[in-house]
Amino acid sequence: MDKAEIKKRLKEIQSLPTLPPIVSKLNEMVADEDITAVKLGKVIEKDQVLTSKLLKMVNSSFFGFPQRISTVSNAIVLLGFNVIKTLIVTSSIFEVMQASDVGLFEHSLGCATACGIIAKRRGIKNPEEVSTAGLIHDLGKIVLRSELPEEYEAIVKEAKEKGLYMREVEQERIGTGHGEIGGILARQWNLPERLVFPIEYHHKPEKAPDFKEIAAIVHFSDILIRAIGFGYGGDPWVPALDHGAWERIKLTKSQMREVIAELDEKLVELQDFTLEIKIEG
Amino acid sequence: MQRIPIKLAKADMVLAKDAITPEGQVLCGAGTKLTEELISRLRRQGVLVLSVKGHPVRMPGECSLAQKLKELDKRFSKVGNDPVLRALKHLIGEYWVIEEKGPEFLEKLKKEAKH
Repeated sequence: MDKAEIKKRLKEIQSLPTLPPIVSKLNEMVADEDITAVKLGKVIEKDQVLTSKLLKMVNSSFFGFPQRISTVSNAIVLLGFNVIKTLIVTSSIFEVMQASDVGLFEHSLGCATACGIIAKRRGIKNPEEVSTAGLIHDLGKIVLRSELPEEYEAIVKEAKEKGLYMREVEQERIGTGHGEIGGILARQWNLPERLVFPIEYHHKPEKAPDFKEIAAIVHFSDILIRAIGFGYGGDPWVPALDHGAWERIKLTKSQMREVIAELDEKLVELQDFTLEIKIEG
Repeated sequence: MQRIPIKLAKADMVLAKDAITPEGQVLCGAGTKLTEELISRLRRQGVLVLSVKGHPVRMPGECSLAQKLKELDKRFSKVGNDPVLRALKHLIGEYWVIEEKGPEFLEKLKKEAKH
């Protein structure tokens, strides 16, 4: 398959059954200025399966809310519509991922957790949005896996045999990387740019046209969670650090120690969450 | 000391730290010996994680400290020249040593390394 063909395939992804019909309805509703969280919540709550999945995600430890969130409208108020929408859009993808690639699922949850910790320390207004960006930063890998399974397998195999980063092999074989692919898809789904850019640029955060700080946090969280070795992101290597991004968000040694300890504590809780998923199947 | 999801707690394990709810309320203190009843009561109160003495549970895929440190080293092999990442690696390694063996052990290791 040549590169043009691959690009074409990726463009067609929109037609996949990954986007629940409820999303376009919600988008329409949000365009209406008089809409309230309660009204939106009511629409979502009609879908019981989606609701239970959603509440499970918002109550998991990577968002770290002390009190239990028991209704969708409550979740919308606390986390913002961007986060809820993203969780709905990606819920079926995560379902596929839980079944087919637990390692990548754990990597994503771990990265989300680290993003939340760093974003909160930096006093970012909606840290849950940064967590969500972390949660879906490897969207491109999931898409590659489901859309171009043979190509994906060949990439993983070559990366493993030659001891390379996955994205190096992606670049060489399909002329683009999982960051860009994730970006294309996130844009097609009309996710806001504050989520699209951090996904697209998580390996080169300083090149992001905007939201460089969020991109830097996702970039470093990816490094941190791989460094700790929680989950598996397709290859075992800690990615190179972008020092421009590090200047933006850098931590002193003692701050870093605190982040590591806090993350470790949360990862244990997260293990509880993933164990539960594994048990429930 | 080991932190475990409460699901994996068993009777006769001893708390190394206070058991606290996610809201930060202390329910029982370090040194308490767990019983089945106590565990289910803590669960009902929303406790998710317990710190227990020793290292009673092998988590799936978990390996020895020495093995963990070796793999940490390996994961960093492509970025070993980056000073920030090198520092990060050391901090993670130190954290694991302290968690499993205590701070005195780390001091001992550091002294040995100097000689």
